[in-house]
Formats: sequence, C-alpha cells, structure tokens
Amino acid sequence: MMTANSCVTSIRRDSIKQADKPQIHLLPCEVEHDGPAEVFKFFNPTVKERKHETTVSFRGRGLKGQELQCPQGYTGVVLKEVQKPASDQEDRVVKVSSVFHHFTYWNLETPPTSDDGVVMAMAWPELAEAIHGPVDD
Amino acid sequence: MDLSDFEADNSVSCRLSSSIPDVCKTEDCCLGIDEAGRGPVLGPMVYGICFCPVSRKEDLKNLKVADSKTLTEAERENLFVKLDEAKSFVGWALQILSPNMISTSMLQRAKYNLNALSHDAAIGLVQYALDSGVQLKEVFVDTVGPAEKYQDKLSQRFPGVEVTVRPKADSLFPIVSAASICAKVARDHAVKSWKFAEDLGDVDTDYGSGYPNDPKTKSWLLKYLDPVFGYPQFVRFSWSTAQTLLDSKAVTVHWDDDEEDGEKAAARQNNTSVLSYFSRNKPSELTHTRDIHRFFTERKLKSINTL
Repeated sequence: MMTANSCVTSIRRDSIKQADKPQIHLLPCEVEHDGPAEVFKFFNPTVKERKHETTVSFRGRGLKGQELQCPQGYTGVVLKEVQKPASDQEDRVVKVSSVFHHFTYWNLETPPTSDDGVVMAMAWPELAEAIHGPVDD
Repeated sequence: MDLSDFEADNSVSCRLSSSIPDVCKTEDCCLGIDEAGRGPVLGPMVYGICFCPVSRKEDLKNLKVADSKTLTEAERENLFVKLDEAKSFVGWALQILSPNMISTSMLQRAKYNLNALSHDAAIGLVQYALDSGVQLKEVFVDTVGPAEKYQDKLSQRFPGVEVTVRPKADSLFPIVSAASICAKVARDHAVKSWKFAEDLGDVDTDYGSGYPNDPKTKSWLLKYLDPVFGYPQFVRFSWSTAQTLLDSKAVTVHWDDDEEDGEKAAARQNNTSVLSYFSRNKPSELTHTRDIHRFFTERKLKSINTL
C-alpha cells in the first residue's frame, strides 16, 4: 500500500500464521499506552452478562458492550510495526500480531446502538461493494 | 452472617435481610438506620436498618447493644448473634453498596455523589420495611451531613412516620446502635473474605483498615496498582487517594467527557488548535487538499495511508 509520502508500507504475510487470536476489546477511551496489558487478569474475568446486558468497568467507569462481527469475508488484524522508521521517507514494515473475527465494542455507560460509529462502520464493505463492485447485467 | 448472595456478584449492590417478625406487622414499630464503611477507599459501604415494636424498646436495650464503633469486632459479632436470636421481635435489612458500584456511580457522566447514594440506600431500605408490612411509626437516623435537610427529605418521603435525624444517633438510640452493628458486621465480613473477580492469584489480605491514612492500606494500594487497569474492583476509584496514586503511577486515560481544554486536548483529539495557525509550521491537515467525507469520519474510518 502507498502512503502520502509515496513510501511503501508492507505487511509480512508470513506473520499471520504466528498471530494469536485473542479476545479483542474496543474501549471508549484513549489509553496512553502501547504495549502489553493484563487483560486476562483484570478485564476478562470481570465482564458480566446480566439481563441481556454485557457490563464491565474500566478505571472505575461503567461500560456496556456488544459483540461485533467483522464484515463478512473480512478478517480483523492488529498490526505491529517491526521497526520504527527513522524518517517518514523510509519504507515501513508491519507484521500481523493478532487476528480476530469478532470483538467487543464498549460504550461509556450506555449500551451500544446501531447509531454508533463503529457499529455503522461494519456496514461499509457491503456499501463499498455496491458502489464500486462490478455491475452484473 | 451469610453474605453468599452478595459474594455471588460483588460488583453490584445487594440487599440482605432477616425474616420480618410477625409482631412488627401488627404493632407500631421504630426503625434505626446507620452505615458502615463510608470513609475507606477499599471495600463496600453498607447501609443497615433494624426495627422492633416501640413496646419492645426496653428488651432491645437489655441486649446491651451499643454504638458499633465503641465495640471490638468480637463484641459486635456476639451482639449480631444476639440480635439474630431475638428474631421474634427484631428484624434487620442491609444494603451492600459494592465498591465498583460506588466508583461507577460517583464517576458517572451525570455525577451521583456519595450523599445522594447514601440517602437513596437509606430510603430504599425504609421503603423495603414498609413494603414488607412493618408498621413504621418512628425512624431514627445517624447522619454525617446536615441533619435538618436530611430529616426534611425523609419526612416528606415517608408521611405519617416520625423521622429523627441526629449526629451520633448510633450512641443515643439503641435501635440505631443495633442497625450500626448489623452494618458493621456485614462490612467486616465482606472485606475480610473479599472474593476478587480479577484473576490475581493469592491476594495479600493485609489491607489494614481500608482508610486512606492507614499505612497498610497505602502500601496495599501501591502493591496492587496495575499501570493500565489501575486497581481491582475492590478499590473505590472515585476516592482521591486512589486517583492521586493512579495519576502518578499509572498510564493516563482520556474519556470523551473529560474536562480538559486548551491546545493539548485539541492536539490529542486531532483537532487543530487555533494557536497552531500562528506557528511557523502549518498543521499538517491544512496542507491536505482533500476533505474526508462525513460518512467516514462519523464511522471513524480512516484510509490506510494515515496509519
């Protein structure tokens, strides 16, 4: 793929085999951290299903979640840069660190609805196909 | 005291209660309200009510109930057993507010403060007694806040019941002492045998009193601080002690309802601060000629070349 500066970002395709398949959570906040987190210790065990609602808390704030599927025919990937480029002219190499087909989308205090950006985003591939796909006669 | 209902899910609020003595449904009753564990940064806050017929006040006094704070843990345990044995004329009920529920309420978008939380717990318990058929005539409440306003609030909420709100009511009225014992025993049990929902292995239970100024509590808070998640749900995140430690030792987390402004927040949210127009380097977005359609920004979709 091409970036605006016309340097190339390539994905190491072989890395997909070693990629793990963790549970993915999309949180409604920005965590100033890029690295491992004790999701299995602190987060996953505290997720509660009650009265058709999925709840958890993060940093003392109540979240409500919904399981979202990746659009059909698509696979979710978490990419990790193999080496940070020294300048923005340099080509970039990323590897696939995780693969997922569904993830939990969390909202602050209110349950996710079909009006939420991320939920709506899942419909884009289908729309893109309708707009840009070949037309059958 | 059996806390298994609370322990089944200690992330929410839970009500525990004795059976309602038959005599309380036929005779005029008095009811006392008190709380335990308001100040600590760890564990639940417990609201307790205790009630008995007005005619049996002397019998209650003879059980030698006293303000729970003046008693040792063993004495409280004994008195709770005695109260429970007096079930022919004494009833009790508890509302256990989990630390997670306290945190998420106090840190809610529409802030729900501790006073409102406490008042609602007390009102809920009195309503429970009424709904169970207890013939309430007198209610005695211990308070930390301004007594008069609280008394007015309760009197209005429960017409026909004579409400007395008093600081130190737990040492003045035996029925309030009895409520304070029930609440404190529940709080002690809950803290002592806290079942961590998190997968933390063997947790050091030497948390001290749970009060922020207790050195043992402080060192426990330092030991169990996780840079990303902060704390287990046993900790009240809304307490300034917890917040201060997180601010200095954990990674920063931004929420969309954070009250921050200025250049830094704008930069972080990827907006262009007005100030940046005065700087030598034009913000990179201004050099872009193509605007992204609202369809994509609303869905948080970005082209892969902005990776």
